[in-house]
Amino acid sequence: MIFMKKHAQLWVLFFLFIPVLSFAQIRVNGTVTSKDSGEPLPGVSIVVVGTVAGTSTDFDGVYSIEVEENTELQFSYVGFKTVTVPVSGSRLDVALEEDAAALDEVVIIGYGSVRKEDLTGTLDLVTSKDFNKGPVVSPQQLIQGKIAGVSIVTGGGAPGEGSNFLIRGIGSLNLNSNPLFVVDGVPLNDGGVGGTRNPLNLINPNDIEAISVLKDASATSIYGSRAANGVVLITTKKGKGGEFRYNFRSSASVYEPVNFIDVLTPTEFRNVVNTFGAADDIARLGQENTNWQDQIYSRAVGMDNTISATGALAGIPMRASMGTTNQDGVLNGDNFKRITGALNLTPSLLKNKLKLELNSRVSRTDNTFADRGAIWSANAFDPTQPIYDINSPFYAYTNSDGVDYGYYTYLNANGDYQLNLAPTNPVALLDLIDDQARINRFVGNIKADYALPWVSGLTLTVNAALDLSKSTGARITPNNIPTSSTGFDGSRSDYSNKATNRVFDAYANYKKELGKHRLDVTAGYAYQDFEFDNNSTNVVRILSGDGILDEDASINQSFIDKSKNVLLSYFGRMNYDFDGKYLFTATLRADASSKLNPNDRWGYFPSAAFAWNLHNEAFMENSGFNELKLRLGYGEVGNVNGLGDYNFLTRYVVSTTTAQYQFGDTFYRTFRPEPINENLKWEVGNTLNLGLDFSVLDARLSGTVNGYIRKTENLIATTVVDPFTNFGNTISANIGDMENKGMEFELNAVPVRTKDFEWSVNYNVAVNDNKITRLPDTQDVGGISGGVGNTVQRHQVGAEPFSFLVYKQVYDRWGNPIEGAYADINDDGKINSSDRYLYKSPYADVIMGFSTNFSYKNWDLSAVSRASIGNYMYNNVASTTALTSVFQNDILRNIHADYLRTGFNSFTETNLLSDHFIQNASFFRLDNVTLGYKFEKLVGKSDLRLYASGMNLLVITKYDGLDPEITGGIDNNFYPRPRTVVLGLDLNF
Amino acid sequence: MKRKLFLLVGCATFALIGACHDELDQVPIDPDLFTEVDVYKDATQAKSALAKVYASLVLTGQNGPAGQADISGIDEGFSQFSRMLFNLNELTTDHCVVGWGDPGLPNLHEMSWGSANDFTTAMYFRLSQVVSFSNSFISNAQTFASDAEVSSYIAEARFLRAYAYYNLMDLFANVPLVTEITTDLPEQSNRDAIFAFVEDELLEIQEQLKTPLSNEYGRVDQAAAWALLSRLYLNAESFTGANRYADAVTYSEKVINSAYSLNTADGNGNGSAYDELFLADNNQNGAQNEFIFVLNYDGIKSQTYGGTTFLVHAPLGGSMNPSEFGVNGGWSGYRTTSGLVQKFDYAITQNDNGGYPIAWNDGRAQFYTDGQNYEIQKIANTFEDGYALAKFRNVDVNGNQGSDTAGNFADTDLALIRLAEIYLNYAEASLRGGGGNAGTAVSLINELRNRAGATAISAGDLDLQFILDERSRELHWEGLRRTDLVRYGQFTTSTYLWPFKGGASNGKAVESYRNLFPLPDNVLLINTNLTQNPGY
Repeated sequence: MIFMKKHAQLWVLFFLFIPVLSFAQIRVNGTVTSKDSGEPLPGVSIVVVGTVAGTSTDFDGVYSIEVEENTELQFSYVGFKTVTVPVSGSRLDVALEEDAAALDEVVIIGYGSVRKEDLTGTLDLVTSKDFNKGPVVSPQQLIQGKIAGVSIVTGGGAPGEGSNFLIRGIGSLNLNSNPLFVVDGVPLNDGGVGGTRNPLNLINPNDIEAISVLKDASATSIYGSRAANGVVLITTKKGKGGEFRYNFRSSASVYEPVNFIDVLTPTEFRNVVNTFGAADDIARLGQENTNWQDQIYSRAVGMDNTISATGALAGIPMRASMGTTNQDGVLNGDNFKRITGALNLTPSLLKNKLKLELNSRVSRTDNTFADRGAIWSANAFDPTQPIYDINSPFYAYTNSDGVDYGYYTYLNANGDYQLNLAPTNPVALLDLIDDQARINRFVGNIKADYALPWVSGLTLTVNAALDLSKSTGARITPNNIPTSSTGFDGSRSDYSNKATNRVFDAYANYKKELGKHRLDVTAGYAYQDFEFDNNSTNVVRILSGDGILDEDASINQSFIDKSKNVLLSYFGRMNYDFDGKYLFTATLRADASSKLNPNDRWGYFPSAAFAWNLHNEAFMENSGFNELKLRLGYGEVGNVNGLGDYNFLTRYVVSTTTAQYQFGDTFYRTFRPEPINENLKWEVGNTLNLGLDFSVLDARLSGTVNGYIRKTENLIATTVVDPFTNFGNTISANIGDMENKGMEFELNAVPVRTKDFEWSVNYNVAVNDNKITRLPDTQDVGGISGGVGNTVQRHQVGAEPFSFLVYKQVYDRWGNPIEGAYADINDDGKINSSDRYLYKSPYADVIMGFSTNFSYKNWDLSAVSRASIGNYMYNNVASTTALTSVFQNDILRNIHADYLRTGFNSFTETNLLSDHFIQNASFFRLDNVTLGYKFEKLVGKSDLRLYASGMNLLVITKYDGLDPEITGGIDNNFYPRPRTVVLGLDLNF
Repeated sequence: MKRKLFLLVGCATFALIGACHDELDQVPIDPDLFTEVDVYKDATQAKSALAKVYASLVLTGQNGPAGQADISGIDEGFSQFSRMLFNLNELTTDHCVVGWGDPGLPNLHEMSWGSANDFTTAMYFRLSQVVSFSNSFISNAQTFASDAEVSSYIAEARFLRAYAYYNLMDLFANVPLVTEITTDLPEQSNRDAIFAFVEDELLEIQEQLKTPLSNEYGRVDQAAAWALLSRLYLNAESFTGANRYADAVTYSEKVINSAYSLNTADGNGNGSAYDELFLADNNQNGAQNEFIFVLNYDGIKSQTYGGTTFLVHAPLGGSMNPSEFGVNGGWSGYRTTSGLVQKFDYAITQNDNGGYPIAWNDGRAQFYTDGQNYEIQKIANTFEDGYALAKFRNVDVNGNQGSDTAGNFADTDLALIRLAEIYLNYAEASLRGGGGNAGTAVSLINELRNRAGATAISAGDLDLQFILDERSRELHWEGLRRTDLVRYGQFTTSTYLWPFKGGASNGKAVESYRNLFPLPDNVLLINTNLTQNPGY
């Protein structure tokens, strides 16, 4: 806790500044309007030149600021040209000119900000006006489909579900491939605590002002080892001072389950059993027709409300917001509830030389998890059986006549327990298992920018942040759950997880302009630590034959899991700009991670970039280009994200009480030496990026083209070791290299722009080619269900990572697969595992996004769609389907209707791994269509927008399974994405 | 004032930065994670490290029944030593077939395994891990070597290493011989060298081990070293070409004359004292006196999906009543072939309408025939074809279920070496010219038959084939069959065919290189010092 103590000291120092206020100032008031329309502009940023002090206009374009005499004010606003005006008197009205090129826009980069025109790296910025509309619960969804080369795939249709976020393909085999998320300068923890659906659920999407995605290493390497997979900077809305304004947003959503697994219908199932079953099997058929999927999914509803206020409190600009979300899942019983609160204060002190920023953000999430085992069970459960059964000992309900019914269960011969290996009634799983978690999270930071009074252009920044997550959860299984465990009297697992992430940054920035030369240098230090403290207890009550608790047989275990790692860094960046034409950036970051051994602990990650603003050249003056910029950048970043701690130390792990060993009459918990790798070092990615930004026709048409090569070296992956030389058969080691190369193209166009009508279009496309270039030991990955320990994917040199490794199915002349007939790839006359071949991969060759907006007077209509080409999927639901699966273990089991096509009799390894089940899952998806209408000046100054959205409206694909878009490419028990209809309102007052 | 404050902030910042550099040296804060200093703090702690060397043959990881697995890349339950030994040494023979389709598993009975087979690979990993764990223990425990108890610990760890190497030699032959902790890629060794190592080790530790039956139950003593020597010498000709039958007789005698004794207590009064060896209370019903090297199980404190939990559940199916076996259900996997059933043809007392035997006058013929077919038509995904075997149970002599009343995990201990085997080793080594006494051999075999309620034999019945069959009758499903068939030249050849040998319903010979298992493909990729066994 040394760190906390030191912090306390620093905080005290900060607060010592507060009384040192100065009053020798004048107050300036004014209104900012648009030169073209004359309308007042709300939210214009006003900065006192040479300082970090400033304010912004309120809803009516009015501002008020205290400044020293003889200063200048800089007015900037997105889409308008920035102007600098000297203060002369107490009234200053300004009319801003529209700037279609918007090159003066200031964008946030790591440890600072830069004018967009001065950017040298590859960065995509999406601001709130371009965010995806609709009931967006998770921040990632705001920019889905908006940025070239960024793939955002939700984990499924559950409420509040997280997303897999990939920038330019996967860059690592075993380590984390997700980017670093930085919220208002606070880099967040990699993962979530137990019971979390999505670590970013902390942030209410309505609080977000802008999201920028840094894609190439020259932009990200200032974040060093945490930025291996790109950086996503989230900027939240800030207080702008002035009169209080309020915003209220509310939406109601209806989620409709639309996708179901194609299993045999009761009629088809009866046919199969009657045709192929033995007399015993036929006798097992029931009398009912139960669609088990109908029993587990139903229409769900959700509500989302956010209220926010911005203004000044005791002269301090502030913004506060509160939001509530309550959303059911289509899987019965699933629910997501969230309350978020955010407070942001931006006081300026010491004649605006000291600018403070305080952000605090809290969220409480209550998750109720419906048991997902029900998804599998509903597919497998015999459709001729009833849901409830009078003979079942597993009590469900009492009917109006007082007769008890239980959940239908495949019973053992005595009729008192479920048969071993039988699927459990899915309705019982959903009704009975109580699985809930509550997650509290706090992310707060205090940042101070101090413009040194005695050195012009030098600003010191100190930023201290705390990211604290705590979750508690319990999964309770009551004693009437159908089970084969004799004497089972219920079980309960409790867990509590705590993750603490502390950040401390200190850096200095120096800006200097000398004639045509501009220099901007930043140097600093960053400290982060991550501490995890997880506890769990597991209680299973077992009754002995006489109904008394059997203490010995019952389980009562507790586990503690703690770890801590530290990341320490120094960084520097230099921007040099000559005449606004030639821009150079160089950065260096040194990172040390406690996860690595002391000798290999420090990694040095440099980058350099050059940009040429062609449009500022004299010879381009009448070329018609508003912008034409050529960029070239190279950078290196390290990666140990997701690597376990202490891999280089000899560690012993003690066994649990259920894995003791008995000597004589005494049981001993055992000590096991853990696999060790003393030589682990940084996985290093380097990216070369060549880019072109252009903008023509008064910026009605603009776009970006990027080409890149990204090489990852010393890939860390789990690899087999000679078992005589270690304590396990696999360790994490630096074993390979990988390459991603690709092209990206983005186009923004406004084909029509009149006074009343505007139509804009955004299209982006990215091509990525991913290949493993060095890997001494092939790795089998992609665990699937069916048998035990089967995998369907392989990492191998020369192939894409996660390529499918399958048998080549032989088909008859009608195109139906012939059971057991596979190509003898190696021509040795036998079909065995050496006949498996690499076939396709789950990652797309091409991804595209297309969105469009129409506005006519007060109406607006927008649509967002995406497409993915060349991604393949393994249909694991269909592949476990064979006739023999119907009849195993003295029960009947339903199978996928793909059987009617394959006619596969036996469930064998070769059938399971047939390329018949690898299908092209290219798709086009219409994500979102929104129609809105805005009532202006409804009451007083307030305005109101009403809208209706439809989400997940249409999917076009050849893929036969549930959904073509499943991260990892293995379709198995996927939580179906519902179709959603939303009605919402957005009120400003 | 402002400057001072600024300086103060500046100094505080730099002090903080300096202090944080030390923070990079993190050590485990998890209460379940220890360093060498903690584990080898004293002899008491070291016993928990010894427990792991034993447990690596008994369990599968640090969480019971599954979790924190010792071996990755295979289902954890599959990775338990005796379960793999069963799959490699019994399932590959006439004793057993399995209906499950897990990749690589059906190949074992078909004798069509390849060098990437999950089961042969995992066994290689398991045994080499036992070697690594032993090497680590032997080296670290030297600190307390003067402590008499610790000196026995070290000898026991050396026994366990020798046992692991005995199996590596038997199954894979040409493995590296590594006796110290090292990260250098080891060189390949061979059967001659490993045979010599195992022999030397066992001879050397016999003095440091405790006298027979004087150690705690579950820990080995001198008799274990002698018994393993007996087994080693019996197979010497098969392993190295050099005949050591005289030594086999010598060390068998040492065991036979030790304090260990055959179980003759018929605790459940069913007329046979054989079935008691495989019951939940076999650590105290008399069977324990026969167990020279035993894996201890407990349904609550030592849980795994291998071991006897596997041996009770996996062959349970069809109309067998799980409660008679002390568990909550069967896994409907393993059955016998008629090859095993025929070993008891001499004792048939009753046939069914189809002329198939359903009762025998030998307590070791524990077949379950109701609803089962004598001959196998189909192996995969069925249970009915092939007689079931009701050998391992999780009930005590009174029929009471073991300690896990939920019926998942078994208490039954599993003997890896028991006295009966040594009796048969003696008889065979003697008959193969190792000396000893033919009369003693007959009377030892009759002791085994007698306690199982089988008829006695006479000296004239005793020949090598009889002993092989008698070993099958006595020791079936105890992990010895493949080695026995190899020694008799019957494993791969057409001399003896059993149903579905080589994948043919009537059986067929397979390539002779299958007397050895392949070295794992993925290990060969990493350690280029190794050459694959011939044929693979």
